[in-house]
Amino acid sequence: MKAIVDCNSFYCSCERVFRPDLEEKPVVVLSNNDGCIISISNEAKNYGIDMAIPYYQAKDIIEQNGISTFSSNYNLYGDLSRRVMDTLKYLVGEENVEVYSVDEAFLDLTHIPVEELHQCAAHIRDVVEQWTGVSVSVGVGKTKVLSKVANRLSKKLRVASKTWVLDTDEATADALQRTHVKDLWGIGRRYALKLMDWNIHTAWELKHMNEEWARANLGGVIGVRMIQELNGKHSIEMRDPLVNKKMIATTRMFGAAVSDLKDIKEAVATYTARAAEKLRRQHSAASLISVFVVPKQQSGSADYRHGGYPRTRYQTLYSPTSLTHELIKPAMALAEKVYKDGERYSKAGVMLSGLVPDTSIQANLFKSAASNQSRWLMNMLDNINFSMRDDIIKYASAGTEKNWKMRQDFISPRYTTRWNELREVK
Amino acid sequence: MEWENFYSASYEGTRHFTQQDVQTANATGFGAAADDYAERGIDLNEQLIYNKPATFFFRMNGDAMIGAGIQNGDVLIVDKSLKATNGKIIVAAVNGDLVVRRFQQGIKGPSLIAENGRYEPIEVGEFTQFNPFGLVTCVIHIFEKGLLDHHRTPAKKKKHH
Repeated sequence: MKAIVDCNSFYCSCERVFRPDLEEKPVVVLSNNDGCIISISNEAKNYGIDMAIPYYQAKDIIEQNGISTFSSNYNLYGDLSRRVMDTLKYLVGEENVEVYSVDEAFLDLTHIPVEELHQCAAHIRDVVEQWTGVSVSVGVGKTKVLSKVANRLSKKLRVASKTWVLDTDEATADALQRTHVKDLWGIGRRYALKLMDWNIHTAWELKHMNEEWARANLGGVIGVRMIQELNGKHSIEMRDPLVNKKMIATTRMFGAAVSDLKDIKEAVATYTARAAEKLRRQHSAASLISVFVVPKQQSGSADYRHGGYPRTRYQTLYSPTSLTHELIKPAMALAEKVYKDGERYSKAGVMLSGLVPDTSIQANLFKSAASNQSRWLMNMLDNINFSMRDDIIKYASAGTEKNWKMRQDFISPRYTTRWNELREVK
Repeated sequence: MEWENFYSASYEGTRHFTQQDVQTANATGFGAAADDYAERGIDLNEQLIYNKPATFFFRMNGDAMIGAGIQNGDVLIVDKSLKATNGKIIVAAVNGDLVVRRFQQGIKGPSLIAENGRYEPIEVGEFTQFNPFGLVTCVIHIFEKGLLDHHRTPAKKKKHH
């Protein structure tokens, strides 16, 4: 059996851990740069606030009803996410946890007897909430897709136990009949419309289609897997939990549109330093660096696209590197190339790809002493920044003014990651 | 080399001790005899944190628990996985506020006792919103606060909405 553990309105839940006064009160969390609403507590949903609508559209409802609003505090969410995942690993064994996203994990519960699944799901829910303060719902089914079906029902129907277990064929049939194909995990909008054209509406109806039909009509092997999963046959494997990232990107929206090359270069330098830090953390080196900017769009223009059109330039590196100064140099040159005078930008980013294991940290007789020293310098830099925070040491090209910094008007303290922002008790 | 000392002093955590952390292992292929005896240093986390995902830090504001040795500005280590039982010092949410008090299970119901005569006990009644957060397992009191000044950029003003 598989389970999905899913944090309920995760970001809102995180904001509440240190704010008991917000218990059972409406809360919303805004995306980077305070643009859109990305997390809504159930109480706020009751006011008709929807996911992903721009903040300014909901501002009136929010202010009239005293809905607590927060900018995204990713330091806090990241820390609590790690706590939730660590708790799950403690409960069911590290090898049985697949972290699927910041607030979701699949569990392999093959070792739990079927008659104990209800109890097990409740236990997981209780321990995670007790230990971390984050409330979770748990869906259990024979396969990943079925566990997702179960979880969706428990959330949608706001079941008090926050668990839903498909431990029998009857329970599974009932759940599939209540689930529309468009709500199935892995069925995109395009296929959902197609299915409805063929008069297939519920997951139950889809389950009874045969595999050959799915291969021909539902994107080949992906469709076959979907049918198999719905029929209780494992087809989507648990992922290897310890895969290093194949690509590292750091990108942010600017607080206000930026038009100055100096500001763009400062931002790009800062992102490069951050990406290089991530790179070193997983002991990789990059062989390709790309820099992109997104010009700010005229709202209402004919070719408007959500998120804008990025313009990218890339450069292959002479030899793979993880050293910040070796990356900043090409990044600066690329920033100058993507920049056009007179244009205003809403976003910039850096991507490092072509990742290979970093050999500069291994003992190497044939390497110049200088490159080993560079590596020590990076270690020192990472350690100092890690222990003292706030990028206490940084490259001069990253600048000190940060005209381009993103907007975070409603950010809460970083309660769990900064000594000087700890929650006070009386 | 001078920076070597600087490097070693920086905190890296001791749980992930790798070959790269042994500096003398670099390049020569022989290593130093001392590497065979390389050992993890003492790590305060091992002693003070029993359950990492459930451990949270708080800062004491006020003198309500002065009698229990918790002074204004001290850091409290709180284990959320440990349940409040009679006589334990806990952090709890009371009517939307977070307080630290000694938990007492009385005949009329639980109450929260300060360790300072100037504070009344908080009786947990039928209409009290009471939710224990966790057990205070340690308190850190720093004498030489000046030494930590480099950590202390001005704290952000807490925002309430």
